[in-house]
Amino acid sequence: MPITYEAVKALSAQLYDWSLRAVPADTKDGLGRALAAESHEGARQVLAMMLGSARKAEAEGRFICSDAGVPVYHVTIGTAARLEGDIKAAISDGFDELVATIDPPLLKHVTNPLTNERGYKGKDMPLVTWDVAGGADWVEILCQPKALGSGRWAALETFSFPTLAEIEAYVMKVVLQAGSQHCPPVIVGVGIGGSFDVAARIASKATMRPIGSTNPEPVLAAMEERLLRAVNATGFGPMGTGGDTTALAVHVDYASGHGYTPVAVCFNCWINRRTRARIHGDGTVERLE
Amino acid sequence: MSSLRTIRMPMSREEARSLRAGDMVLLDGEIVITAGLPTVQRLVACAEEGREPPIPLAGGSLMHLGSYSRDTAEGGLEVLYMNPTTSTRFNALMPRLIRHFGLTAVGGKGGLDAGCVEAMREVGCVYLSFLGGGAPLHSAAIEAVREVAYPDLVAHYRLVRLAVRGLGPLTVGIDAHGNSLFDSLRHDAEARMPEILARLAADRAGAG
Repeated sequence: MPITYEAVKALSAQLYDWSLRAVPADTKDGLGRALAAESHEGARQVLAMMLGSARKAEAEGRFICSDAGVPVYHVTIGTAARLEGDIKAAISDGFDELVATIDPPLLKHVTNPLTNERGYKGKDMPLVTWDVAGGADWVEILCQPKALGSGRWAALETFSFPTLAEIEAYVMKVVLQAGSQHCPPVIVGVGIGGSFDVAARIASKATMRPIGSTNPEPVLAAMEERLLRAVNATGFGPMGTGGDTTALAVHVDYASGHGYTPVAVCFNCWINRRTRARIHGDGTVERLE
Repeated sequence: MSSLRTIRMPMSREEARSLRAGDMVLLDGEIVITAGLPTVQRLVACAEEGREPPIPLAGGSLMHLGSYSRDTAEGGLEVLYMNPTTSTRFNALMPRLIRHFGLTAVGGKGGLDAGCVEAMREVGCVYLSFLGGGAPLHSAAIEAVREVAYPDLVAHYRLVRLAVRGLGPLTVGIDAHGNSLFDSLRHDAEARMPEILARLAADRAGAG
């Protein structure tokens, strides 16, 4: 049976709603490990409050952050999926329906960058990236609302034939720029190579990888491990008021490129909003995160 | 060592001066909040033109907190949720407000810059760091909405006076003696960076 406009619209709205009221399981586990390892007393209190806030949000169905961000979706369409209706419009209409029905209401965060006027709608909103999965009969939608903490401190610089030392020094420069600002402990995403837009997308996708997962590329797995140690050696700590835990994870990925090598660095704040589900060819919806 | 004490709001200047960066506090009493840059700009205009703001601020607090309030059936207002916003967005405007209104407490997340730290030291004012992503906890501490001003602005930009009980724990991020955790942590991280980069180089050599 086809994957319909209605199914995609309903799921888009639901994923956004779910993302606002819970912290992903891998992230809570990461916070728990950080709390056990943290040596700074104030930082332990802040980490414990984070876990308490996550528990209360889930138990009472509350928003964990007042800033619901703007709707960001990543949609992967299987090449064997049969689609019915305007799937692109379904994402946008799903968000509109959520705005109209969600309780409590969302604050207006969609901003016209030319006037700074805020509302629920705007040009190219929701922000959607599209991907294709060879042979699959499903459509997968990942929702990752972005707000100031998770969006404002990202940066990109283009190098010529950089060494790993230069790449890692740049990551640390961006970490230092963000400092206490991005609601740490964060998930750091690093994208290396490709082109300007590809590097940024790789970095963003890297933040979506579950915390605790190992990078299949040994070179990157080692880089992630040493960068995580380096980021946490800065001492900014939870909420940037000091401690051992500035990041829960550093995730790195790359694409081959030309030799001019963009390096993109982005962050997700500690609540790490992320929900993901698939609509299968038989019409069933499978919640993955 | 961090200590947790409950402070009556508005905070007295004496109490503000008694706090030290790194202390943790709970708040009882009344606070004034907004998450809006246009709002803070309006308050600066009030200061510059010698007008009283729609909610008095003298000797009080101004927290960078966004909230969503709605009318209740009884004709009052209720806050559905509340959470901090990034304070550094207001760096350029806060010294004027801190000095003009003699604020004793400001707050939000991420801290304020050196110009604000200096104004706070002069006036006797502290910066309180709220948990970002703490909406379920912060909202539960709200007892009542006393007043909402600037209804023409989007909800989280409005100026709101709230009664709270047990709001926190909040970290004193900047004290009234010129000490800022944010400045000292940045300074320490910068000073540590050569050592951090050397460790990365050693790790790379080891991994090679």
